Amino acid sequence: MATKKKTYEEAMRRLEEIVKKVETDGLDIDSLGEHLKEAKELIKFCRDKLYKADAEIKKMLEETE
Amino acid sequence: MQEKQVISLYELNSLVKQALRYHLPDTYWVQAELSDVRSNYSGHCYLEFVQKDVSGNNLIAKARGTIWSNIYKLLKPYFEQETGRAFTSGIKVLVKVSVEFHELYGYSLTVLDIDPSYTVGDMIRKRREILRRLEEEGILDMNKELMLSMNPQRVAVISSATAAGYGDFCNQLQNNPYGLVFYPKLFPAIMQGDRVEETIIMALNNIYEEIDFWDVVVIIRGGGATSDLTGFDSYELAANCAQFPLPVITGIGHERDDTVIDSVAHTRVKTPTAAAEYLIAHLYDIALKLEDYAARMVDKVELRMHREKERISRLSERIPMGTKTCLQAGYYRVDRIHQRLGMAVQNKLMKENHRLELLQQHVKAASPEHLLKRGYSITLLNGKSVSDISQLKQGDIVTTCYARGETKSVIIEIKK
Repeated sequence: MATKKKTYEEAMRRLEEIVKKVETDGLDIDSLGEHLKEAKELIKFCRDKLYKADAEIKKMLEETE
Repeated sequence: MQEKQVISLYELNSLVKQALRYHLPDTYWVQAELSDVRSNYSGHCYLEFVQKDVSGNNLIAKARGTIWSNIYKLLKPYFEQETGRAFTSGIKVLVKVSVEFHELYGYSLTVLDIDPSYTVGDMIRKRREILRRLEEEGILDMNKELMLSMNPQRVAVISSATAAGYGDFCNQLQNNPYGLVFYPKLFPAIMQGDRVEETIIMALNNIYEEIDFWDVVVIIRGGGATSDLTGFDSYELAANCAQFPLPVITGIGHERDDTVIDSVAHTRVKTPTAAAEYLIAHLYDIALKLEDYAARMVDKVELRMHREKERISRLSERIPMGTKTCLQAGYYRVDRIHQRLGMAVQNKLMKENHRLELLQQHVKAASPEHLLKRGYSITLLNGKSVSDISQLKQGDIVTTCYARGETKSVIIEIKK
């Protein structure tokens, strides 16, 4: 779960892992929902990180110009 | 008894005088060493000529000499001009003399002329001897091998306190046109006569005591009248100077030959003023170099700063593009994985669905209704299906189920 403070890269790795498991039938239906929930959270986390980085960079670039 | 022929002392001396005049009527060029040279108020010079044995310790000949004032007043300056030495005791000379005998004063030589080149030759020979000895001992060039300090501003001066040379030297240093600062200090010594060697060595020792305070030693002597340089041709003095740990500059104020001390000095110049000029030029040269270094350093730093600024601006121009690409890649990656996840989940669910359907079909195929439809039947005894013949006996009434209806029958015979 993305409760702990994760880095973007760690989150992406976990996401890859989950997707690969789903793709290769490595999950049973019982845990599918749970994994899907985690994957959704991870995707949100990564997106947020990207948005934040984007905003920060834009701000900094404006400052340096 | 024969009567003695008696003559007076005067008569005898007169005879000696006549005999000498008769037998030694000419003038002679004589080599001798000067000793006990004195001149009196009337301008006449009285002296002694001596000759020593090979060891130089014992006299083997001696004669009184006289130089009349009319000769002496020309001879002395001429000699000193030519040789750079005082006409004084201890030097070897070649003089033209006539032999005199005076009834009262006895034997003496009257000097008529002098050949300074003989004395010069003798001095040169002596100097060469000293230089050869210094060379053999390996100390001849020791002072020359020292490096003059980058900024020789602390100058230990050996000179006579009363002579003009020291004043000239200090004036020259202080009034240099570049405003350079020097710190001269006088270490007094006697710069002519017999005590030159002793007092200069003493001054060198005094400088040595506080050697850390000094950059250079300058030995100078006021110019003016040609005077006695004998003291500077001394082995002891030269050896002291050569081995002195600071560079020694000589400006002894003579135009002609180098004395031995000049030969061993780090640098020799002619006059005290020239010695000061030498130091000024050296320091000025260093000062120019430093200024040049400073200017070059500023240039280099400015150039470097300019380059770095350009580099930074080039790099910063690349940042927006780079970060944009980087973020886009990030978004793309997340989108991709999102997509993959959706697809994978859909696939998974479809697969499971399919699996269920199959199972359902299997279940359906195995149901009794299905079997009955295909022509099979089920036999029941008392409402329970009969799967084993041993459950039945003759006379039992069984119910047979078909797809559409049932029959009741009696068991007539059992075959096993």
